[in-house]
Amino acid sequence: MRSIQRRLGFGLIGVLLGAGLLLAETTLWMFDVGLRRYLQDDLREQAEVLLASLVRGQNGIQLDEPRLLGVYQRPYSGHYFRIDFADQSWRSRSLWDHALTPSPTVGLQDGLADGPNGQLLLLYRGDYRRFGQDISINVASDYTPILHAYRRVQLFGCLLGLGVLVLVVMLQRLTVRRALKPLEEVRRQVEQLQQGLRHELDSGVPVELEPLVAQINHLLRQTESTLQRSRHAVGNLGHALKTPLAVLTSLAARAELAARPELQASLQKQLAQIEQRLARELGRARLAGEALPASHFDCAAELPGLFATLAMVHNRGVTLDWQAPPGLRLPWDREDVLELLGNLLDNACKWAQTKVLLEIVGGVDGWLIRVDDDGPGMAAEFRGEALNRGIRLDEQVAGHGLGLAIVRDILDAWHGSLALQDSPLGGLRVVIELPARREGG
Amino acid sequence: MRLLLVEDSVGLADELMAGLQRQGYAVDWLADGRDAARQGCCEPYDLMILDLGLPGKPGLEVLREWRAQGLSTPVLVLTARASWAERIEGLKAGADDYLCKPFHPVELQLRIQALLRRAHGLASRPQLEVGGLQLDEARQVVRCGAEDIELTAAEFRLLRYLMLHPGQLLSKGQLAEHLYDGETERDSNVIEVHINRLRGKLGRTAIETRRGQGYRFSGVR
Repeated sequence: MRSIQRRLGFGLIGVLLGAGLLLAETTLWMFDVGLRRYLQDDLREQAEVLLASLVRGQNGIQLDEPRLLGVYQRPYSGHYFRIDFADQSWRSRSLWDHALTPSPTVGLQDGLADGPNGQLLLLYRGDYRRFGQDISINVASDYTPILHAYRRVQLFGCLLGLGVLVLVVMLQRLTVRRALKPLEEVRRQVEQLQQGLRHELDSGVPVELEPLVAQINHLLRQTESTLQRSRHAVGNLGHALKTPLAVLTSLAARAELAARPELQASLQKQLAQIEQRLARELGRARLAGEALPASHFDCAAELPGLFATLAMVHNRGVTLDWQAPPGLRLPWDREDVLELLGNLLDNACKWAQTKVLLEIVGGVDGWLIRVDDDGPGMAAEFRGEALNRGIRLDEQVAGHGLGLAIVRDILDAWHGSLALQDSPLGGLRVVIELPARREGG
Repeated sequence: MRLLLVEDSVGLADELMAGLQRQGYAVDWLADGRDAARQGCCEPYDLMILDLGLPGKPGLEVLREWRAQGLSTPVLVLTARASWAERIEGLKAGADDYLCKPFHPVELQLRIQALLRRAHGLASRPQLEVGGLQLDEARQVVRCGAEDIELTAAEFRLLRYLMLHPGQLLSKGQLAEHLYDGETERDSNVIEVHINRLRGKLGRTAIETRRGQGYRFSGVR
C-alpha cells in the first residue's frame, strides 16, 4: 500500500540530501579557490623577495643567504623554492633531498605538486629577467594542513547535515501526521460506514477534503433515496398486480366453478404460479444487496418487532426465542435482514410444534445464523432437493420452498451460504453463514 | 358479527363482501381512508379488515388513528405489501393480524374466525365451543352433544354472536347493531323471533330473557 507519509518522507530526504551536498561542495570549492588566490599573492611576493635576494657576487649571481627567511633553511618546513637560470638550478635547503619539479606554466599551477615527506604543494612560478639572465623562480608552500582542515570540515559538515536531516524528517513526519489527521479521520469514518456504525461522514473537515466528503455523503443519500424510490415503485406495482390477483383467486374459489373441478384446478394452479413468480421477483427487486454501505441491522432493536409479528402470524402457542450477543449489528440493509430472518423463522414456525430458536453468533470474519425448530425435521436425502427447489421459478413449491428461494436470493447478493442440518431441538436446523463485508469497493 | 371492510378495489371488495355475507357477517364497506378513520370509531364493529393502500389516507395512518383514540377492535390488515419490514410496521401501528394479497378466501375466513375468538378470550381453538355447544362456522351448524342441529343463516349469525359473548347481558339494540350492517332496516321484533327459534332448537334455558334489559346466553349445560 502506498503511503503519503512515506512518499513525502522519501521526497524530502532526497531533496535535502541533494541540496545539502551541492551546497556543501560548492561552498568548499569556492572557499578553496579563494584561498588559493590569496596564497598565490603570497607566493608571488615570496618569489619577488627571492628575486631581490639575488646579488651579483665574485662568482656570478649569488643568493644573499642571510636575507632569506629561516623557513627555507629548516627541512620540510612547508616553504620551498627552486631557482633556475642559465644552466644552474638552486633549491631551498628545506626541500632536503626532494627534487621539486618546476611548474610547466607561469603563475599558480592548476593541480598540487608532490612535495617532500608526502606533502602536497601549492606551486607558483614566476619568470624574471635580471643581470641579463632569464631567471625562473618556483615557490611552493605546503597545502596539506589546509586539505586536512577541509576533510575535517567535510566530516563535521556531514555529521551536522545528517543530524539536521534526521531532525527535519522527524519534524516533517510530525507535521504530515498532523496535516493528514483529517484524512485519517475520514478513513476511519468510511470504515465505520462500512460496518454500519454511521450513516454519513462528518462534514466538519478541512476545505481540501470538503468536496470529497460532501460528494460521498451526496452519493450515500442518493443511493438511499434511489433504493427507497425503487422499493416504493415495487410496492406500488405489487399492490397494483396483487389486488386483481386476489380478486381472481377469490373468483376461482367460487361455488359456481366447483362444478367444473378440472377448470378450477387449472385456474388455481396458474394463479398460484403467477403469485409465486410475482412474490419472488418483487422480493428480488426490493433487495438492497450491498448497494448501501451505511446500512446496518441492529439486532436488539429490530428482533423484538420481528418476533412479535411472527408470534401474531403464528398464533398457536409456539415459543419463539432469539439469542445474539448484546449490541450486535449486522452490516446489511435492515429490510434485507428482516426479510431473510422473517422467511427463515416463518418457515420454522410453520413446522415447529412448540419451539423455534434463532441464534446469531460471530464477529470479525463473518456471522453465523442458526434457526432451529422442533418440528418433524427433514430427512437428509430430501435436503438437497429442498435447497434446489424454488430455484426454478415455475415449480410448484410449498412449505420450505418459496421462503427458501427468497432467502437464497438474499444470500446470493451477500455472498452467504445456507445449509440444512439436524437440530438439537429435534427438527430442522437452517445454518446461514455470512462473510464479513469486504473492504473497499 | 358486524365487520368493517376498508378496501379501495371495487372488484376485490365485491368478492369479499359476497363471501363474508355468505358466512353470516354483516359487512359495511368503505373505500376511502378518511371515511374509515371516522366511521371506524363511531360504529360498534366487531372486527375491521383494513387494506393499507387507500386513497384519502394511508391504511397505516388510519390504524394509528384508531388506536390513538383507544379503539381496541381487532384489525386484520389486508395488503399487497408483503415484506417483513412492512408487516412489522403494520404490527407496530396496532394490527392484530396480517394477510398478504393474494390470499385464498378460506384463509381469510379462518383468520377472521380465529381473530374473533381470540378477541373474546377463546383463543387457540379450531372451533367455537361455548356452553356445551360447538359451532361449525364453515357448515353453519351447531353440534349439541352428538347431535348436529341445522341453523338458518339468521339463526347462525345470532347464535355466533351469543356464543362469542357468553354470560353477558345483550340488549336488543346491541344485538341489532352487531348483526346488521349500516344499511339494513333494524327491527327488534325480528331478533325476538330468531331468539325464540333458537330456543326451540337448543332448549328454553339456553338463552335467558331479562325483562327490559335483554338476553343472556348461558349454554345448554
